[in-house]
Amino acid sequence: MENLLIEFLSNTGFALVDYRNIIMLLVGIIIIYLGVAKQYEPLLLVPIGFGMLIGNIPIIKDFGLGIYESGSFLNYVYYGVTHDIYPPLIFLGIGALTDFSTMLARPVLMLLGAAAQIGIFTTFLGALAIGFPPNEAASIGIIGGADGPTAIFLTAMLAPRLIGPIAVAAYSYMALVPVIQPPIMRLLTTRKERLIRMEEPREVSKREKIIFPIVGFLLCCFLAPAALPLLGMLFFGNLLKECVVVERLAKTARTSLIDIVTILLGVTVGASTQADVFLTRQSIGIFALGAFSFAIATASGVIFAKIMNLFLRKKINPLIGAAGVSAVPNSARVVQMVGQKEDPTNFLLMHAMAPNISGVIGSAIAAAILWSFMSL
Amino acid sequence: MFGLEAIIAHDGLGISVIGISIVFVSLVLLSFAVSQIHKLIELWDKKNTSYQRVKKSQQKDQKTPSVSDLAIPQDVQKASRQFKLLIEWMGEPFPLPKLLDLSGKCGLSHPHSTINEFIKCELIIPAENGYYVWNKQLEEKRSST
Repeated sequence: MENLLIEFLSNTGFALVDYRNIIMLLVGIIIIYLGVAKQYEPLLLVPIGFGMLIGNIPIIKDFGLGIYESGSFLNYVYYGVTHDIYPPLIFLGIGALTDFSTMLARPVLMLLGAAAQIGIFTTFLGALAIGFPPNEAASIGIIGGADGPTAIFLTAMLAPRLIGPIAVAAYSYMALVPVIQPPIMRLLTTRKERLIRMEEPREVSKREKIIFPIVGFLLCCFLAPAALPLLGMLFFGNLLKECVVVERLAKTARTSLIDIVTILLGVTVGASTQADVFLTRQSIGIFALGAFSFAIATASGVIFAKIMNLFLRKKINPLIGAAGVSAVPNSARVVQMVGQKEDPTNFLLMHAMAPNISGVIGSAIAAAILWSFMSL
Repeated sequence: MFGLEAIIAHDGLGISVIGISIVFVSLVLLSFAVSQIHKLIELWDKKNTSYQRVKKSQQKDQKTPSVSDLAIPQDVQKASRQFKLLIEWMGEPFPLPKLLDLSGKCGLSHPHSTINEFIKCELIIPAENGYYVWNKQLEEKRSST
């Protein structure tokens, strides 16, 4: 009986705990705190944070409990991450949630969404330079797209062992947009530029909104076919929303479906950050490069907006360039916040939505290009 | 391998330059396509309205036949002068058998088919009790054009 008790105690978390588990549990608690108390992307950070707690409870190996052990509950759910099932479904929901009108009203702003993708390719070079192999460098670079599903999508294809750190870095930086972006935006713009008022966008007809997802899908996927799973679902979701006749499907995609997938994705991505896999020098490198990528993406968008102003008759507020990173709608909100600090009557949110949404399309295309190159 | 050496070895610069170029080209094309959608819709609407306008005017034309529609073959026109004199002599309204009989006696050629043509182009129109009259209004209209 004594032996049984000792055996049981030796199998408890208290006996198996490692300092790395403690660190990761603390990180999980901090992430939950950021989501709950600071409300930084709570829909993502709360599931990820709790997933980190689940993944870092010390357990006996080969007991069929861990996320990396085949046959475990978490392993089954994680299948959706490793086999790229969740990211396209999230894109379906985003498509069904997003109104593309501002982008359709002033399509030239889509170029800002392209400019912000410079961050992805610059970081790709940076990651190569510090010794990451090309497939991992590409997965790290995509963090600059500020798009969690896209980052997971590409990493699952190119560097599955890095899904945990890359997904957590991508989602953390998405959540930290209000902290990371404003200093860069202020640094690169003058007060006069931040005060620029943009003209009201024209009204967009219903037919335009219905035609756009079809034209957009065909055009983008003919150019970058590897973007098919992400952009196909994004534009399909948007068609469901705009065509009105399938309101039930659109409602499901933008509510129940995206919520279920977000829960499964968040918890499993969090649980995949097991201390022995996550706490490595590589992860520190990934986080540092992720921050660099994000900063470059923001700066590229702002600088490109300033360059565009040299040629445009109707000037644009360069702050909206920062919304080219595709953290929808967080970075658009940050633009609004920074703009209103200078002039409380200046409303930039709807203008910032155009580069913000085109950033989603741009980062999906960038991911498709990297995937294609790495598969050659 | 680290630094520039690693970038060159993995063709990093090439991938980055081509990659960002494709992203730009895709979004420029999409932006161009998007900027044309509303113009195409406008054009489509205009095409529809002008088509409907033409269709309406065609329908209108069908309801009120133009003078050209009342054109009468030349040989019938020539005969109409002789038939008109005959009808004036007979007095109106007149029975068709009597006109047929008289035109035969006067030696007018093909009286049956000629009278039939007059009825078709409404130069001879029915009056009351099975009698007919000469359509003076139509004749005036034709002569005025």
